[in-house]
Amino acid sequence: MSSTFDQIATIIAETCDIPRDTITPESHAIDDLGIDSLDFLDIAFAIDKAFGIKMPLEKWTQEVNDGKATTEQYFVLKNLAARIDELVAAKSAGA
Amino acid sequence: MQLDYFRLIDRIVELDLEARTIIVEAQVPQAHTIFEGHFPGFPIMPGVLLTEAMAQSSGWLLLGVTKFERMPFLAMVKEAKMRGFVSPGQLLTIEAKIEHEGSGFAVTSAKARVGTELKCSATLTFRQIPFPDPSLRVHMDAVANEIGFPMQAMTP
Repeated sequence: MSSTFDQIATIIAETCDIPRDTITPESHAIDDLGIDSLDFLDIAFAIDKAFGIKMPLEKWTQEVNDGKATTEQYFVLKNLAARIDELVAAKSAGA
Repeated sequence: MQLDYFRLIDRIVELDLEARTIIVEAQVPQAHTIFEGHFPGFPIMPGVLLTEAMAQSSGWLLLGVTKFERMPFLAMVKEAKMRGFVSPGQLLTIEAKIEHEGSGFAVTSAKARVGTELKCSATLTFRQIPFPDPSLRVHMDAVANEIGFPMQAMTP
């Protein structure tokens, strides 16, 4: 699995006091790990800082609310890692 | 300060939207019922109110950055440190700085001083959402005018 997953798993473990070994690429941040919206703000802050990006949480949330995306697309950790990789790549391409 | 209205900030001294910083002043009242209980014989500003003053300072900064399009609501307080007593009648100078602008949230750091003496500091997280009620926006405009919010700072 990508180092991106390892990094976000470590961030989640440290931020939410969740045992690292219980966090897998298949874990759903909300449904499986029980992360609430406030804790996710903390996680987003840490991820933004670690990767030098701005995760578009509002856009993602809107897409889920509008039925254009599922929570799994953004909050299953392997998918979240893929989204982060895309954001990092887009930032590098624009730099 | 108008403690009864939970208005902790009296005057915006400086707003620098490019540097993402703000400096405000807050005059602690000489007398208030709060000081009768906190504490008899030793009146000091409660730490929660000092934290709120730092939050309101940060809030005005965030309002400026979003051009009053989004209302910041305090969501998280970290590393709040009450470093010294703040007494009735003292003038607080509060500095706040945006540490991170996320999607729908922002993180600030704030410090309050009396003179040169650092009294408290904190790292604060805010949710930023569109104004939930038009009357709140009207109210914030009115308060902004009263505390000298430099509206010209928001024009390019």
